[in-house]
Amino acid sequence: MGFEVMEDIRKDYVYDLIESGKRVDGRGFRDYREVSVERDIINKAEGSALVKIGDTAVLVGVKLEPGTPFSDAPNKGILMTNAELRPGASPDFELGPPNENSVELARVVDRGIRGSEAIDLEKLCIEEGEKVWMTFIDIHALDNDGNLVDAAALGAIASLLNTRIPNDRYGLTGEDTLSIRDTPVAVTIIKIGENILVDPNLYEENAATSKLTVISNADGTISGIQKSGTDGLKEEEIAEMVEIGIEKAGEIRKKYLGDIET
Amino acid sequence: MYKVVVPGDFISDEVNRAGEGTYVDEGKVYAMHYGILNDKGEIKVVALSGKYVPTNGDILIGKIVEISFPYWIVDIASPYEARLHNSEFAGTRREKIEFGDMNKYLDLDDLIVAKVLNVDALMRVDLAMKDEFKIGDRGRLIEISHTKVPRVIGRSGSMIKMLKEKCNCFIFIAKNGRIWIKGREADMDLALQVVLMISNEAHTSGLTDRVAHFLDSFKKGR
Amino acid sequence: MKEEKMELIKDGKRLDGRGFEDLRPIKIEVGVLKRADGSCYFELGNNKALAAVYGPREKHPRHLQDAKTAVVTYRYNMAPFSVDDRKRPGPDRRSVEVSKVSRDALDPVIFKEYYPKTAIDVYVELLQSDAGTRTAGINAASVALAAAGIPMRDLVSSVAVGKIDGEVVLDLNAVEDNHGEADMPVAMVARTDTITMLQMDGRFTKDEFERGLKLAKKACHEIYELQRAALIEKYSKSVGEGEE
Repeated sequence: MGFEVMEDIRKDYVYDLIESGKRVDGRGFRDYREVSVERDIINKAEGSALVKIGDTAVLVGVKLEPGTPFSDAPNKGILMTNAELRPGASPDFELGPPNENSVELARVVDRGIRGSEAIDLEKLCIEEGEKVWMTFIDIHALDNDGNLVDAAALGAIASLLNTRIPNDRYGLTGEDTLSIRDTPVAVTIIKIGENILVDPNLYEENAATSKLTVISNADGTISGIQKSGTDGLKEEEIAEMVEIGIEKAGEIRKKYLGDIET
Repeated sequence: MYKVVVPGDFISDEVNRAGEGTYVDEGKVYAMHYGILNDKGEIKVVALSGKYVPTNGDILIGKIVEISFPYWIVDIASPYEARLHNSEFAGTRREKIEFGDMNKYLDLDDLIVAKVLNVDALMRVDLAMKDEFKIGDRGRLIEISHTKVPRVIGRSGSMIKMLKEKCNCFIFIAKNGRIWIKGREADMDLALQVVLMISNEAHTSGLTDRVAHFLDSFKKGR
Repeated sequence: MKEEKMELIKDGKRLDGRGFEDLRPIKIEVGVLKRADGSCYFELGNNKALAAVYGPREKHPRHLQDAKTAVVTYRYNMAPFSVDDRKRPGPDRRSVEVSKVSRDALDPVIFKEYYPKTAIDVYVELLQSDAGTRTAGINAASVALAAAGIPMRDLVSSVAVGKIDGEVVLDLNAVEDNHGEADMPVAMVARTDTITMLQMDGRFTKDEFERGLKLAKKACHEIYELQRAALIEKYSKSVGEGEE
């Protein structure tokens, strides 16, 4: 239910089109939709970004507040990522506790940030063992036309790149902004029939039998992979998808995060 | 000896012989079940476990679980329920069974012997009562896995014949694993014991002899 | 959470004495539960996983039925006493994700179309945990499904690879997972080398990723042989019992 609800007739239409080498919106198989990234649009958040990929829109807000560190990492800040897929964004989303899709989305984005060590968590230590900055990344889907995860991940890193540390609010002193060391970018690739396509829109996402999200860093290393969907993939297909993922991430990074120094 | 296979085991290149319990992929026949391979003639894999799914013509024992005019809803020990239309209630009576009268003919928990008339694409199972055969209070009804039924019957009915003779019981084995036994108390006890023994040791060799031996020693002891 | 650097490799061997490509010891028992239609107990090192399969059975509520196929559900759950710091009972976000990817790992091999409108429910309990629990769960579930008589194309096998002290290694234990640089659980169909689950967290170069995947493939083949042997042996045991 939810994401998988789709009229069979549309699935066939998408499938047939792709078999003849075309996509519903006329894109090439390796083309991304138009991307836009607007940073710092929510002034109450310490960091924020509105990302649009085609008609998919995701708003990410970053909030910081002091908290107690985990006992096994007394000198490190805490990172927590959550995703809300609320009914306004799609007729397929329901109110209620997070379902498996929103949990997966949040955890994959979190993995990408964590794996790349983009945030220097040690710099978030206020008082070792007592107080550290907790970084909350909240992903709010606004409109779902497929591939929420790439939009969410891009929104997350874009927000983090100029997140302020709200020292004044808590009577603290220290760094003004979050220290970000890398720019992980997620690229989602799907398989329909024997075809491999980048950045699925909603129709394509529902028609896909397999989906692979590859999160890679500025130096081409990989900091997250997630396969979903109920079809298997061969090693060669995965290798091809990873290759494409790293390449596309480089393009996106250059175009939309390129003006920032890390 | 039997050969045990697991799902995905390669069996043969002879795709034209592929039968029940197998599937074909790129010109090769593979096992679809955890079960026993039967390679003579048609290639079959007999599942060692699994649920009963009705097919047309099966004779089974069902239990009435709901009355929903004009149908009785019947539990048939399957993931699928069956229904018996009141016009399929057996007997020479010709009168129509009215809305309020259905429970007078068959009530909740009644057991019937029925034949599967039809299973449609939506898995709706329609039954017809076989003769006027409502299982009364006499006798015992037990349920074993439907996969063991062929063993209880035996090759050309040899096992069931031996059981009926030596236990002196009426024994009816339905396709869905339900078995109805009728006889004197002590005889039914024995029959039950033997049926369970066969069910537990269904795929072992030398079973028929062991059962015969068991029955004989029991009778000697009386 | 990755912690301070700890030496995980000493003199070319891992802390528990294993080589880089060694699996932890595996134990498999089929048909351990009476009520389930199929069950399997699977040990991978200190992991103890118990899989119970119920089905095909009626799917409730009706509106969740699929008119054309069975609906497969997978519930991964860690017992509160299975880890060092007691885990509060109930599903947490991690269990929800693990359940999802595990279900997707097994779904492709099940002939769901043979049982329309029904439910095939897989319950995996982790009784003791030492990293790699989702892989142990999938291995157990795969055997339990076969034991339940569910029609399947193949068995599914699963293992994790990772990176510790810069080396790509097989089947991380908890210490290695906590202090290592990458963790990649994989599930695949050994017969066709088709991958049905793939996740990675941490950091890999593309080359390390490919080597890791190859290593996982080799281990999955080994695990498959053990799963198959356990099922065959279970049958032979019942033969043995008959022969007094």
